Amino acid sequence: MNRSLTPVLTATTALLATLAVAAALLALGGHSPGAVFSALLRGAFGTWDRFFSFTLVRATPLLLTGLAVALAFKARVWNIGAEGQLHAGALAGVAVAILLPVHSPLLVLPATLAAAAAAGALWAAVPAAMKTRMGVGEVITTLLMNFVAVFLAQFLVQGPLQEPRGVFNQTDEIPLAARLPALLPDTRLHLGFLLGIVIAVALWLYLTRTPGGFRLRAVGASPRAAEVSGRFPATPVVWLAFLTSGAIAGLAGWIQVAGVTHRMYEGLSPGWGYTAIAVALLARLNPLAVVVTAIVFGALSAGGGAMQREAGVPEVWVRGIEALVILAVLTVDRSWQVLAGGGSRD
Amino acid sequence: MTAAARLRGVTRRFGAVTALSEVDFELAPGEIHGLLGENGAGKTTLARILAGLLAPDAGGVEIGGRSVALRSAREARALGVAMVHQHFSLVPRFTGLENIALFNRGAWTGRGTAAPDYRALVEARAGELKLEVELDAPVAGLGVGERQRIEVLKALMSETGVLLLDEPTAVLAPREVEGLFAVLRRVAEAGTGIVLVAHKLDEVLAVADRVTVLRRGRRVLTEEAGKVTAAGLAEAMVGEPVGRPGRDHPPESGPGRLEPEPVATLEGVTVRTSGTLSLRDITLAVRPGEILGIAGVDGNGQRTLAAVLAGIRTPDEGTATLPRKVGWIPQDRGEEGLVNDFTIIENVAFALHGKAGYRRGPWFDWAGVEETAGSLMREMDVRAESPDTTAGTLSGGNQQRVVAGREFLRSGEMLVAESPTRGLDVKATVAVRARIAGLATTPSAGAREHQTTRRPPAAPKRPPGIVLISADLDEILELSHRIAVMVRGRLIPVPPDRHTRTAIGELMLGARQGGDPR
Repeated sequence: MNRSLTPVLTATTALLATLAVAAALLALGGHSPGAVFSALLRGAFGTWDRFFSFTLVRATPLLLTGLAVALAFKARVWNIGAEGQLHAGALAGVAVAILLPVHSPLLVLPATLAAAAAAGALWAAVPAAMKTRMGVGEVITTLLMNFVAVFLAQFLVQGPLQEPRGVFNQTDEIPLAARLPALLPDTRLHLGFLLGIVIAVALWLYLTRTPGGFRLRAVGASPRAAEVSGRFPATPVVWLAFLTSGAIAGLAGWIQVAGVTHRMYEGLSPGWGYTAIAVALLARLNPLAVVVTAIVFGALSAGGGAMQREAGVPEVWVRGIEALVILAVLTVDRSWQVLAGGGSRD
Repeated sequence: MTAAARLRGVTRRFGAVTALSEVDFELAPGEIHGLLGENGAGKTTLARILAGLLAPDAGGVEIGGRSVALRSAREARALGVAMVHQHFSLVPRFTGLENIALFNRGAWTGRGTAAPDYRALVEARAGELKLEVELDAPVAGLGVGERQRIEVLKALMSETGVLLLDEPTAVLAPREVEGLFAVLRRVAEAGTGIVLVAHKLDEVLAVADRVTVLRRGRRVLTEEAGKVTAAGLAEAMVGEPVGRPGRDHPPESGPGRLEPEPVATLEGVTVRTSGTLSLRDITLAVRPGEILGIAGVDGNGQRTLAAVLAGIRTPDEGTATLPRKVGWIPQDRGEEGLVNDFTIIENVAFALHGKAGYRRGPWFDWAGVEETAGSLMREMDVRAESPDTTAGTLSGGNQQRVVAGREFLRSGEMLVAESPTRGLDVKATVAVRARIAGLATTPSAGAREHQTTRRPPAAPKRPPGIVLISADLDEILELSHRIAVMVRGRLIPVPPDRHTRTAIGELMLGARQGGDPR
């Protein structure tokens, strides 16, 4: 089996399996799968505007959180906390944007982005410390930190950061200087998407071309081999993966606010931090492939609305399809390994 | 008299390794039969075949005079064979009573918990055997000796004709050993045949009626315990006494002659691993150009010593003065020496990722790594399609050549080789040993240190000092200039006039403590 081809086959098979199961379920539910899928495709790719203003805009937070998850998982850091780190980043960015008494975009943009990244990293630092110092499993801690962040966001948009008129549970609009400029004229696509691509390429170069990236992959493959054969301790690498992952997820939250919503409110994220796990796994943790899988999930999201309007299928079907993709990836991934003759369990 | 158990010409292979070769073994009812041998001699394999956990490839098994083909531990159990494993098989959260009940399902009726009458049964049996057991506390909180008594009682709850104990004394304090042996004698008096797998000769001689010695999968001796001595058994276990000096070709640069300054020294090094001492007060010096052989049965602290010498474990007490360039061939190449999912290039990169010579600005010079990996493959005769081949697909011998070759690259000042030829075929063994011997006399070229900057010409390069840690006495005797034995975390020097298999073998087995170090 050609090693470089296997992941592509895996992802494609997973998607096809998902489509087949979804089609069967739709038919059972009395819908025409053909009509539903064509509505979905038209909603995602039908026009330039659908693609740039919907699919890619919705792909952006998934791209960033997907990269965050992929990097962490690559180092065997099971960061389930992208959702919380995203909220922390969004809150920090909004707070700096509203409270900073400066109005030059050249200052405000870097300051808000830095604040968001720092807040995301800080949110990841808690589970990182618990893992490296006390051996507490990060799956639980990162997950629980999500609830803390979501409730903190609820509290802040109802209290200290609430809009001055005090009507809705949301912040004031952020100043113009803090908003991300559009990437293409006449679309809603903003600079954040490009930033995501840049981070994807940077991560890929880091992982494949630098000694530090090699060490991170080595720790992910076998912490014991890293220590014995590589003669470097795993702990600093674990910290690096945690903090960088948190920072990227933090950026995802603020970029969504600065590029799309222009204010922070309850329920900013429909669970991107969790969908990100599927995005990363479908990409086999390859940062460049995350770009593709994030767009696939962005398309599902963008097409979901159209599906509801045109084919009369509730949008929750899209969530179901996302869940099916995760199941399919996990199943297909294992079978490919067995087929390829590895069959090893880790 | 009908034998309690008998093996006839039993052979068992694991892949290319023959663990047991045409072994005959007989266990009489009511006898305690000591089963001795070095690591890998086949003791545990023999016990597991009797317990129904392994099927022999050839030969026959008889239990209680009947020829049987055991397909599972349950079948063996039904025939009255019970085994107490080296690593206990108890459910930690369950109490002693629950564990015993769990194992002897069918002997009691009750839902979810042991019925009251079963408890009475267990207590009665414990009383008969004079076994003091804690039945009501979760096993997790009990000491090793207490757990073992539960394990023994568990095995003896139903009719047992054959009781197998795999290294039961390894984990016990001396007082507990005596207690266990007293129980075993009572059990044997009641007619049960007992197989006692053990390392420690004195203990076995103290309790066994007969002893059998295995060496490399063959039975070399079966004798009544009264007719053998510890020295005689040690000789049988490690092979004939050769009585020759360890090395037949004195090295040109003997220890300390050309370059008296050691490359590494340990002084009073003590290491604790989760509370227990794994190294006790180790003092040693490694000199350039010498091979220091450290013999010992696995698990006596060698792994910790290697980690200290390689600089990844800091001593809890004492001081370690170590060189910067240390090669380390770890014992466990699958888990520690290699990443199976990585290519040969990536596995070689483990030695190069920190070196300035393999860096171009921020980038790792993968082309340079590939070049080094290619020349390593040629030099070590690694059979693989290309340096891009995944390490997991290589044979064990080729994997070890990759690991050894990589560690030779970084062993500018010292090499720590842990069982460097374990699992290798004859040709690969000879090649690796020759390289190790050669390394001690000539400084290696090593990896590129700097490409652009050149250091000022250093003092004439001295060859590395080599620490060879191995349970293989042939290897130790063939290569070493000096020899020491590790027993229970201590290092016992072996004077040159005692570099014989027998003398070292006795020290390894702890039959005679201390030797006569100078």
